[in-house]
Amino acid sequence: MSFRFPGAPGAGRPGLWLLLLLTLSTVRLGWAQAPTACALSLSGRVADHESRADLPGATVVVLETQQATETDAAGNFHFHLCAGLYHVRVSFLGYQSETAELRLERAVVRNFQLHPDAVALRGATVRGERVLAPTQPTATLSGQALQQTRGQALGEALQKISGVTVIQTGPSIFKPMIHGLHSNRLTILNNGVRQEGQQWGQEHGPEIDPFIASRLTVVKGAASVRYGSDAIGGVVLVEPKPLRDSAGTGGELNLVGMSNNGLGAASGTVEGNVRRLPALSWRVQGTAKRAGTFRAPGYYLKNSGFQEYDFSAAAGWRKETYGLEVFYSQFNTKIGILPAAHVGSPTDLQLAIARDQPLKTSGFSYDVERAYQQVRHDVAKLTGFVETGSAGRLTATVAQQTDFRDEYDKFRPRNDNLASLNKPELSYTNRTSTAELLWEHRRRHNLTGSVGVAGTYQFNRYANGSRQFIPFYTNTAVGAFWLEKWQRNKWLLEAGLRLDHRNLQVKRGDRDSSGVYFVDRRQFQYTTPAASLGATFDPTTHLTLNLATGLTRRAPAANERFSDGVHNAQYELGYDLVPGNGPLVPETALNVGLTATWHDNPRLNGEITVYQTRITDFIYQVPILPAVVTIRGALISWQYQQTDATFRGVDVAGTYQLAPRWLLGAKGSIVRARDTRQDQWQIFMPADRAEVSLRYDFSNQPATHFRQSYVQLGGYAVARQTRVPDNYAERDYKLPPAGYALLGLEAGTTIHWGRLPLDISVAGSNLLNTRYRDYLNRYRYFTDEMGRNVTLRVRVPLELSRASSSGT
Amino acid sequence: MYSFNKKSISRIAMLALLAAAPLFSACNNDDDDPTPDDDNEQITTLTYTLTPAGGGTPVSATYRDLDGDGGAAPVIGSLTLAANTTYTGVLTLLDETKIPVVNTSVEILEEADEHLFWFESTPANLVTVTRTDRDKNNLQIGLQTSLVTTAAATGELKITLRHQPGTKNGTFAPGDTDVEVKFNTTVR
Repeated sequence: MSFRFPGAPGAGRPGLWLLLLLTLSTVRLGWAQAPTACALSLSGRVADHESRADLPGATVVVLETQQATETDAAGNFHFHLCAGLYHVRVSFLGYQSETAELRLERAVVRNFQLHPDAVALRGATVRGERVLAPTQPTATLSGQALQQTRGQALGEALQKISGVTVIQTGPSIFKPMIHGLHSNRLTILNNGVRQEGQQWGQEHGPEIDPFIASRLTVVKGAASVRYGSDAIGGVVLVEPKPLRDSAGTGGELNLVGMSNNGLGAASGTVEGNVRRLPALSWRVQGTAKRAGTFRAPGYYLKNSGFQEYDFSAAAGWRKETYGLEVFYSQFNTKIGILPAAHVGSPTDLQLAIARDQPLKTSGFSYDVERAYQQVRHDVAKLTGFVETGSAGRLTATVAQQTDFRDEYDKFRPRNDNLASLNKPELSYTNRTSTAELLWEHRRRHNLTGSVGVAGTYQFNRYANGSRQFIPFYTNTAVGAFWLEKWQRNKWLLEAGLRLDHRNLQVKRGDRDSSGVYFVDRRQFQYTTPAASLGATFDPTTHLTLNLATGLTRRAPAANERFSDGVHNAQYELGYDLVPGNGPLVPETALNVGLTATWHDNPRLNGEITVYQTRITDFIYQVPILPAVVTIRGALISWQYQQTDATFRGVDVAGTYQLAPRWLLGAKGSIVRARDTRQDQWQIFMPADRAEVSLRYDFSNQPATHFRQSYVQLGGYAVARQTRVPDNYAERDYKLPPAGYALLGLEAGTTIHWGRLPLDISVAGSNLLNTRYRDYLNRYRYFTDEMGRNVTLRVRVPLELSRASSSGT
Repeated sequence: MYSFNKKSISRIAMLALLAAAPLFSACNNDDDDPTPDDDNEQITTLTYTLTPAGGGTPVSATYRDLDGDGGAAPVIGSLTLAANTTYTGVLTLLDETKIPVVNTSVEILEEADEHLFWFESTPANLVTVTRTDRDKNNLQIGLQTSLVTTAAATGELKITLRHQPGTKNGTFAPGDTDVEVKFNTTVR
């Protein structure tokens, strides 16, 4: 049995190189040079234990000196060392790591034969989505890089990846944005299930507990063929570890504390595999998180605390030729909404926007008062696979998710009886059932591929007595896709086709100008195609070139057409309801991206992506000026528009090994978006940004209890967004804020406390307590961003019944 | 060439059935219609009626937004008053989206100890408004007022309803704004 990298069945090279490079932040590359005085040679060959096949690209680390190398094309490695006792660890994706003790007195040849890590292998092949994204630029957060984001919201954590920014609403709600595209144009897969939260508000963060993931992957650029037309902008994969398959019980405990808002988070996982029933594995996981008032430099952001309680459970039954897995998760959160947006007349609104800091601030408190959001998201999933003889594998997934969203206004009802019920002013339920059947065929004539059908049934309602904001709607979508990859030598080509049919039925309550209530019923049908073509070429062992293109049509969603009303003190209006507008038409996106990856070099490694996305009939939101006036006063107001837009940009990320143990890192991203219909810049695009970090990794002293210690200094700078539509003062309530630079410092180590390796880190962000606002935060009109924050993180791996052999 | 044994075919059939299950089961109770949000309080209309103390034709101004927040813009009237005159003022608030129409001012009077109307004119000497009604705690309410004009001038009169459950103390600050309406006002 040979390990096959999921991205490239068969040989597995290009995808693997890419992945290795992208996880550079977690894999430290040193180089096998040493003082000439110590020239004892340690060499050997790394192979697969079962098939005896060479394993090129495996990582070999001398733990004492932290020298590291990768095996060459024949699986060979080579070090020069002084005489002494060493521990050498060999690791390779999909295999169990092995550590050997070696006494070096003369040249030594030591071969390693790695056992396939059945857990990782199976996990990798079960999931359809990982199989099919090699010709797309992807970036991954896992291991230590992911650990460094623990305690943050999903969207916040994803900002570590170049090209990913966020739309924020206050300090705790983050919506990810890839290459300037967000919301209905990004697909988030939570453990293989397409997240169908209530995407309709820009202040609705993804309802996902990031602690569930052992890996966060971002596919930058359209992946619509595999994931459906809503993946024009990209895909975020939230992936838990595969279920345990070696007998025993283990787990992990994560603790996070933050100084700025008194955040405390605890997340624990326990998982096991039943000794007597090796096919049966299980896992339970839970997270509790609570934060008090956030602090901007100089004042507290009133009512900005939140609470979050999540849990999930999974069980799997797995045999060689078939397997079944059930998964259930629940996410609960209560998030305070800043009262700063609640003002009176248009004049008061102008004053509030002009003010340096909000009129009403507060002290520190964990209490969340009105206004707040209360959200619950349930996911139930059943997935199974069958090996279809020599032909391939058939996988079926069914899932149901329900999203309950209650929004409480700052104002209580006047009627005391009503007020005592403490009902939300907005109470929405969105239920989505999804199903997918996927058949992956084995390699034939250098071709691998998959065919699939997918269906979605979505049902959106609001409770009796709730204010209407999004109408009742029912959305049915059926799609079929076919993806094939051809691989030979240094080339990998991929092509795919998809067709979706969507039926959207909307029932909207409205009043005519004399106040008489009526129900407006509408039905829309769309058939939207998607196509993709990609190529990956490895001209040398250190360079990978990738070209990805995609064509997608996306049908407009109900919120883009029919949102109407006030929530969280902002007013929003759908396109179809703007007087004089006809119905929205589907968007058509043509996406081209070129990525060059320079990898496995001793010093400089990096990646650069240039892209262009042309979207005709691009749907976006703009402020309504002057603000909409209600009987309670004026509100920041938004409406949807449609135009033609072109997005161009560059993402750069790289590391440079300055000296042994000194690693310099840099990232940057630039987006240029033009509204070509009006020949001007597109509104609300991320400003240019860059990040630089310098990291020092301490050598592991055998005598101490500290391992893998590091210190990292980082700077993050964002420019003022100057590329905005003409006459900007008449288009937005406030001009884009000034650029800013933030300083961060982080230190971490692994302490061996008895047999427990505790990962501990302390990270300070915005250390200079810089006062700043971000263009893409909806509360920038009223408040500054969060000030200085120090985060303490502790991770405790637990092996409850069987001693761990992997040493991680 | 591809080999399928019986067992795997039955498993495939099972998977296919599984995949199709939600398509059969999910299509229930989706033919309901949205209903008017009767529990959701609204104020669509505010009328300030001023009757000259010495008798004469009452003057009034109305703010009216029948289709609620957004949609058609509210219709906002204006006041034209005589100089050097004292008026008796009455505020009426309605929710005209309900059938029958809800008289919100009656509700406000019932919970007078939680409500305060605030009157503010620009320029400050345009008109002088004095609240003449009081709640059970002897704090002013503002549904009933006396308005006095002096010299001819133009400006605006802002009327704010503060909802102050448990916190009313006669000042503006506690609680939240339930209504804020401005009328262009001319004294001549």
